[in-house]
Amino acid sequence: MKSPRTVAIAGLAAFAMVGALAACSAGGGDDSGKTELRVATFPPGADAAAYDAFAEQEAQFEKANPDIDIIGVEYEWEGPTFAVQLAGGSLPDVFTVPFTDSKTLLENGQLMDVTDEVEELGYADKFNPIILDAVKDGDRIYGFPRQAYAMGLHYNRTLFEQAGLDPDSPPTTWDEIRKAAKTISEKTGKAGFMEMTQNNTGGWQLVAASAARGGSIQEDNGDGTYTSTIANDATKAALEFLHDLRWEDNSLGSNFLLDWGTINQEFAAGNIGMYSSGSDVYTALVRDFSLNPDDYGLTVVPVENGGGTLGGGDIAVVSPTVDDATKAAAVTWIDWFYMQKLLDEDAAVLDAKTLTESGQAIGTPLLPVLDRETYEESLTWIEPYINVPRDQMTPFTDGIWEQTPVGEPKGKTQEIYALLDTVVQAVLTDQNADIDALLEAADVDAQALLDE
Amino acid sequence: MTLSTKHQAPTEGDPVPRPASGPMVPAPPARRPRTRNLRTWVRGGGLSTLVFLAPMLIVFTVFSWSPIVQSVIMSLQETNLLDAPTWVGLDNFVHVLNDPLLGTAILNTLYFALLALLFGFPLPIVVAVLMSEVRRAKGFYSALAYLPVVVPPVVAVLLWKVFYDASPTGLFNTILGWVGIPPQPWLQSSATAMPSLVLEATWAAAGGSIIIYLAALLSVPPELYDAAEVDGASIWNKIWHVTLPQLRGILFIMLILQVIATAQVFLEPFLFTGGGPNNATVTILLLIYRYAFQNSLGGDYGEATALSVMLAIVLALLSWLYFKLTERWSTS
Amino acid sequence: MTTTQPPVFEGVDAPHAASGLRGVIGRRRAARRPDETGDRGIVSDHDRKNRGVKVGMGGVHFVLFVGLVIAGLGPLLWLAKSAVTPTQDTLRQPLALWPNGIDWANLPQAWNDVHIDQFFWNTIVIAAGSWFFQLLVATTAGYALSVLRPRYAPILNGAILATLFIPAVVLLVPLYLTIVNPPLLGDVSLLNNYLAVWLPAAANAFNILLVKRFFDALPREVFEAAKTDGAGPFRLFWSIVLPMSKPILGVVSVFAIIAAWKDFLWPMLVLPDPAVQPLSVRLPAVQQSIELDVFLAALAISTLIPVVLFLVFQGVFLRSAGLGGAVKG
Repeated sequence: MKSPRTVAIAGLAAFAMVGALAACSAGGGDDSGKTELRVATFPPGADAAAYDAFAEQEAQFEKANPDIDIIGVEYEWEGPTFAVQLAGGSLPDVFTVPFTDSKTLLENGQLMDVTDEVEELGYADKFNPIILDAVKDGDRIYGFPRQAYAMGLHYNRTLFEQAGLDPDSPPTTWDEIRKAAKTISEKTGKAGFMEMTQNNTGGWQLVAASAARGGSIQEDNGDGTYTSTIANDATKAALEFLHDLRWEDNSLGSNFLLDWGTINQEFAAGNIGMYSSGSDVYTALVRDFSLNPDDYGLTVVPVENGGGTLGGGDIAVVSPTVDDATKAAAVTWIDWFYMQKLLDEDAAVLDAKTLTESGQAIGTPLLPVLDRETYEESLTWIEPYINVPRDQMTPFTDGIWEQTPVGEPKGKTQEIYALLDTVVQAVLTDQNADIDALLEAADVDAQALLDE
Repeated sequence: MTLSTKHQAPTEGDPVPRPASGPMVPAPPARRPRTRNLRTWVRGGGLSTLVFLAPMLIVFTVFSWSPIVQSVIMSLQETNLLDAPTWVGLDNFVHVLNDPLLGTAILNTLYFALLALLFGFPLPIVVAVLMSEVRRAKGFYSALAYLPVVVPPVVAVLLWKVFYDASPTGLFNTILGWVGIPPQPWLQSSATAMPSLVLEATWAAAGGSIIIYLAALLSVPPELYDAAEVDGASIWNKIWHVTLPQLRGILFIMLILQVIATAQVFLEPFLFTGGGPNNATVTILLLIYRYAFQNSLGGDYGEATALSVMLAIVLALLSWLYFKLTERWSTS
Repeated sequence: MTTTQPPVFEGVDAPHAASGLRGVIGRRRAARRPDETGDRGIVSDHDRKNRGVKVGMGGVHFVLFVGLVIAGLGPLLWLAKSAVTPTQDTLRQPLALWPNGIDWANLPQAWNDVHIDQFFWNTIVIAAGSWFFQLLVATTAGYALSVLRPRYAPILNGAILATLFIPAVVLLVPLYLTIVNPPLLGDVSLLNNYLAVWLPAAANAFNILLVKRFFDALPREVFEAAKTDGAGPFRLFWSIVLPMSKPILGVVSVFAIIAAWKDFLWPMLVLPDPAVQPLSVRLPAVQQSIELDVFLAALAISTLIPVVLFLVFQGVFLRSAGLGGAVKG
């Protein structure tokens, strides 16, 4: 988006287009009287068991809603797919997007207003307000927050033991993390701590580390503009922490070009003592990276100076181009597939049962999108089906409630993360990197992005 | 004859200038004048010519000519696939030129090109000259030299990524350890990342150049060496005063080709470092890729094409220079 | 060197390659002459009798041998070894020979669990299709422009030649959008369709010029004779021109197959679905979800076929490289 004027034009054009498309497809639905609903399933290449579970759930839903015909569509929020799929007509009617991108989509008019439907379903006020904020524009609601995570500190219990540390009392301050990392790298030769740096994850983690120390990288001026505040003490402290581990303790290993996937791989292979990532990553660690569950430990990221824990998640949304019948079906599906298992015991049990039968992880620690009581109650419903080692995650599940959740920055999130990747990489690969200068430069660049 | 064929000059092997319709077709009898031209055309082979041209016309129109035109148009538009494109004049160019990363990308690309010239240009010449003097097992040596070229580039990069393991037990660091050199960070430092990429690229490409130089060396007229010897030239003198001047043409051609190729380097930075650390390996093509394909919310196709067009103009000039030179050298 | 998208960039080399074709054919003949008197290079027979030169040549021979074996063969041998070495051995002692034994299981694991078999097949399909379409377009167009020569041929020649000056990069985005939304096909997108790789690869000016040059050099008398015998343009093409053109078809085939096997960026963009991706696109993606030893086994398998092809058809490869080798490989 170049200038306010272009934005306005693009927005108008988008609405015109949406209107035209809606007009074209109005009265959709096929001869059988069923409404066809194309819903997002999994990223391409998901394993067969996941599809089995989905097919089972699809059948359950269609039995309960005989007038809706569910068609599963492979879907992945990655690369240039969204715009391409929307343009090419292959975007599902229901799909999920991360919180961080929802705002841009809102601005572009690419999300369907579902305020009335959410209110009709009656749980609008049950949502965690911080999380609901991600899908609101004014008082209109454009999606269903369906899953959220908080940043957690993942650690390798086996490496902790080998280094003579107690895996049941993981570090609780950044200084303790530094000491533990040093001990691990000295005793075991593995990296005590590791940090993501690539594909916007470096920025993501830096923002999280900054938030944990009470910092924030931008201020929302409330009028659609943002002021960049990257060059703050908390961010600086976060970078100095990395600098000291890297250049004074040498406890960060030797690979500084990692992203979400590669750091998971290194951790699952037992090469990392500790790293910070979303609390729900256990599912992927076991399913995609063959982690030995016994090695796994999870605790909260330490919080200092009134900081909070960065969280994120995704929302289920409806394609802006669907007609009313499809929209109604879409909301029914979202409610059934994503929401009821959070609210209703029978739905939760059915969901957990179906998923465990296909070997999917149940009970990975999440942040509740609804209120805490409902979330904890839902855990008791699915107790018998939980197949993740929650006792190795108690430092997290006990501690997370003490922490204030902090949302991701909203203005140009991914672009600014990309800028910060560079800063993190500079600190990790250049011993003489001038942290102040790097932050100042990033601040100027970020402001330029925000002013576009 | 060279390939100079903008004007369809008759070839040596083609004594008779040939009319379009082919000489064997008898003149069609004049019947109804309205359809005569069409009939003449069909019977003269015009239709079958078109049938033969059709595959080329279709794929070139759709996948070459029209995208070329489109790229110029798109560089002046804002396109997000969803809305009708809007004309934005030179906005895309202004944006690209104001991107702080552009300078970095240009410098990095030039740095890559320079290092590639330093490592990658002289090495194949030296090896080719040496190989040309080997009398036995020439084929064996050629095969060895060419082997890395056969390895799929993606495999080569991924393999070298393992070699570049920056821990003391990494493969290259182990070798350095044998001769007492401390472990190097390879891809993990802004200073050494780019040279590491170039080292791999040189390994992967040198074989091709060696084979070309070998072919060129064969074409040096032996009489020149005989003459030089009569003048009492040493081996070095012969290389310096006979071989290299004789290779001048092909050397210059290879130089331009290498510059054109390195200006579009993508695979190595993309797979080795993703442009890091600290943007040390962001190249122009990587930047184009990022503009267009990195952002899940729809790429900035306008800016991507604007940068492509600018790069293309520079490269087209180089290609043109190259073309002129080959034309001159092959005709002379 | 490193470009991925084939058509135009390779085209840039066409002038050289085309003159090189003549050059190499000519040179080969020329080179045979000195053969009669022995290999005449920089170092004369007289020089070779000199003791110092003799020792020097021996040294050169040795350095060359060691250097080429280490650089050319070394990495491949290491890969072969590591493909059957447990991960921890490769990480801890990359240059030791099987300190903890050989792990043959890596190979079947890579083949079956990582589905290298599937991606291998995809790669073959992509290469075969690219080969077919490139040959189809290059031979038909070359024949039309060189033998049939319509009046408008010079315009087409110019239009084809012009694309040689446009580097591949400028096509990336518009070509991608063409694939996403192809003209005249309505809402159908060519994403995840092999045509999206085959057809743009066939729009290769370099091939056409190479083939056309070759056809230009064929003796016209043969064509005239065939025409006198009543052969139409299709007969002439199929029964006379193509059989006479095996050498150039071989060269174009080698280029087409190698380019398809190597291509990365373009298939990555237009084949987002892993089920249809070739090895080059899939290998970087699977890297992070499999263990190093299995990954190296997968790399080794992916390298095997091209290397074997090369060793078998060495002559064709090296001759093609001598021609258009700058086409980088």
